[in-house]
Amino acid sequence: MPPAGIWIDGLVQSCIYMTMAFGMVLVFSILGILNWAHGQFYMLGAFVVYYAITAAGIPFPVSLLISGVVVGGLGMLVEKFVIERLSVPGYGMLYVTVATLALVFFFEGAAGMAFGLMDKGLATVLPGVLDLGSFSVSYQKIAVIIFTLVIMAAMYVVLNRTKVGLAIRAAAQEPVAASLYGISVKRVSLIVMGIGCALAAMAGSIMAPVYSVNPFMGRIPMIMSLLAIVIGGLGSLTGAIVGGIILGLLNSVIAYKISYFSEVALFVLVILVLLIRPQGLFGAPQK
Amino acid sequence: MMLGRYYIDYKSVLPKVVAGALVVLFAVFPVITTNMVTLSILISSGIWAIAVMGFTLVLRTGQFSMGQAAFMAIGGYVSAILTVKLGIPYWPSFLAAGVVSGLIALVIGVIMLSAGGIYFSIITIAFGEIVRIVALNWEAVTRGAAGILTRPPAPITIGNFEINFATSVVPYYYFMFLLVIMAGLVFRQIDRTRIGGTFRGVAANPMLSEHLGVHLMKYRVIAFTVAGVFTGLAGAYYVTFLSVITPLMFDLWKSIQIMMMSIVGGISSIVGGALIGATVLYTLGTYLSRLPIYNIQYLLFGAAVVLVLLFLPKGTGLVDLWGKFWHKVFREPEEYEMPEESEMAVE
Repeated sequence: MPPAGIWIDGLVQSCIYMTMAFGMVLVFSILGILNWAHGQFYMLGAFVVYYAITAAGIPFPVSLLISGVVVGGLGMLVEKFVIERLSVPGYGMLYVTVATLALVFFFEGAAGMAFGLMDKGLATVLPGVLDLGSFSVSYQKIAVIIFTLVIMAAMYVVLNRTKVGLAIRAAAQEPVAASLYGISVKRVSLIVMGIGCALAAMAGSIMAPVYSVNPFMGRIPMIMSLLAIVIGGLGSLTGAIVGGIILGLLNSVIAYKISYFSEVALFVLVILVLLIRPQGLFGAPQK
Repeated sequence: MMLGRYYIDYKSVLPKVVAGALVVLFAVFPVITTNMVTLSILISSGIWAIAVMGFTLVLRTGQFSMGQAAFMAIGGYVSAILTVKLGIPYWPSFLAAGVVSGLIALVIGVIMLSAGGIYFSIITIAFGEIVRIVALNWEAVTRGAAGILTRPPAPITIGNFEINFATSVVPYYYFMFLLVIMAGLVFRQIDRTRIGGTFRGVAANPMLSEHLGVHLMKYRVIAFTVAGVFTGLAGAYYVTFLSVITPLMFDLWKSIQIMMMSIVGGISSIVGGALIGATVLYTLGTYLSRLPIYNIQYLLFGAAVVLVLLFLPKGTGLVDLWGKFWHKVFREPEEYEMPEESEMAVE
C-alpha cells in the first residue's frame, strides 16, 4: 500500500484534471471541437493569480475569481475571433485544431516574453500543515480539494437549475431544435467557452501555490485532461470527472509502484478504451 | 470532409516548364551558394516536407494523425542502432529504417484505424508518447536521454570523384533532393491516380464508399503505411544529417509541427503544399529563433499560423496563392473560377 501522502497527492491531481476536463467536455459538447490551448488558459490563470497576489496584494480567494473572469474573457475573445471564424462546415475540425494548437505556441511565447521563463513560487498563500498523526497534509492541498468540490457543486447548480444551464444542455443535445426555440447557439458557444476557460484558469490558480508557475506548466495537465475525457467519454460530464480521478490516481499511486511504466500503462489504457469502447466509459454510443 | 471546395487543377497552373525550371534551380542551388546555414535550412525543410506529404496522404483518407513524428523517431532509431551498434553500412540501414517504420505503421494501422476520426487522432498521440517513453527509458538499446551519436555515411567513390559526407553539406543536399523528388513522384502518382480518388471518396463519404464496394480499412491502412515508410526514411536521413538522435527530437510537438506545415502549406496539392508549408514554416522558425528577444519566436510562429488560417480562403493554403497568381497573370480571369466574395466570407 502506498503511503497516505501519495493518495492525497493523487487526489489533488485528480481534482485539477477533473476541473480542466470538465471545461473541455463542456466546450466539446457545444462547439464540437477540442480546445487544444486549454492548458495554456490554465497557465495564464496561474500567472494572473501570481501577479494579483504579489504585485497588487489582492487576497487569494478574490484573485481566484479575478483570474477566472480575466481568462474567461480571453477565452471568449478566442472563441469570437478565431474559433467562430474558422468553424466552416467541412473544414472546421481541421482548422480549429491547427489554430488552437498554434495558440499554444502563441500564449506560451507571450507568457515567456511578459513574465520570464523562471519558475515562480507562491508558497506563502496558505502556510501550515494539518497534522494527522502518521502523516500531514498542507492546508493548500485541502484547499484544492474543497475548491474543486465547490466548483463542481456550482457547475451542477448552473447546469441544472438555471436558464443558462438549460440553454447549454439543449444546445448540446439538439443545436437545431434549440435554435428553433429561440436559443442563440452562437451566444451559448461564447458563454460555454468562457466558462470552460474560467474553469481551467481557476484550476491553474488554485494549483499555483502547490507547484511553481512557469510558461510551460500547462502542457502536462492539458494532455492529462484530454486523456481523462477520452477515458470517460467525449461529451460526458460524468465521464470527465471519473476520468480525472482515474488519471490522477494512476499518475501517483500506480506510479509509486511501477515508476515510468505507469505512463506507458496510461497510454495503453487509453488505446484499449478507444479500441474496445470508443465512446468511453460514460459516453453515449455514436449516432 | 477534406475535399477541396475550390479545386485547382495543378496540371494547368504548374506547367512542365515551370516545374522543370524549379527542379533545375534547386539542382544547381549549391553552385549558387555553399553557405552552410542556407543549405542546412533547405535540407531540413526538404526532410520535413517528406514527413508532411505522409501526413497529407493520411489526411486524404479523412484521418488526422497526430503521431507522425513517432515514425521519424522509429526510422531514426533503427538506422542509428544498425549503424552504430551493429556496424552495418549506412545505406542498407537507411532502407531498413523505411521497411521497419512501414511495417510498424501497417500493424498500428490495422489495429488502430478501426477507431476513426478524433479517436484515431488521440490514439496516434498515445502511440507517439509511448514511442518517446520507450526511447527514453530503454537505455540498453537507445541510450536513453543521452541519445545516440551517428556517423556520416561512408564516402562513395565513383572513378576518381569522391562524395564525402563528412566534410561538406552539399552531398547531404543532393541526397535530400533525390529523396524529395522520389517521394514527391510517389505521392503525386498515388494522389492523381485511381487510388487517390478512392482516398478522397473514403474521406468524403465513408458510408457511400462502403456501399460502392470500397473496403474502407484497406485504403486507410494503405495510406498510413505509405506515409509510415516515407516518414521513416525521412527520420533516418534527418538523424544522420544532424548526427545525433535523442527522444526529445521527435516528441508530440514535432508531430504538431508536421500538421501545421501541412495545413498552412495547403492540402489541395500534396507535394506542392508540403514543400511550401515545410520550407516557409521551418525557415520562419529558424530565423525567428535568432531574434534577440527570448521567446518571441513562439509568439510570432503561433500568430503567423493563426493569421494564415484566418485570412486565406477556407480550404486553401499558401500553395493556392500560386494558382491564383498564375491565373491572374497568364489566363483570362473568367476561366479560373475563384470563389465569390460572399462565399469566401466566413460562416
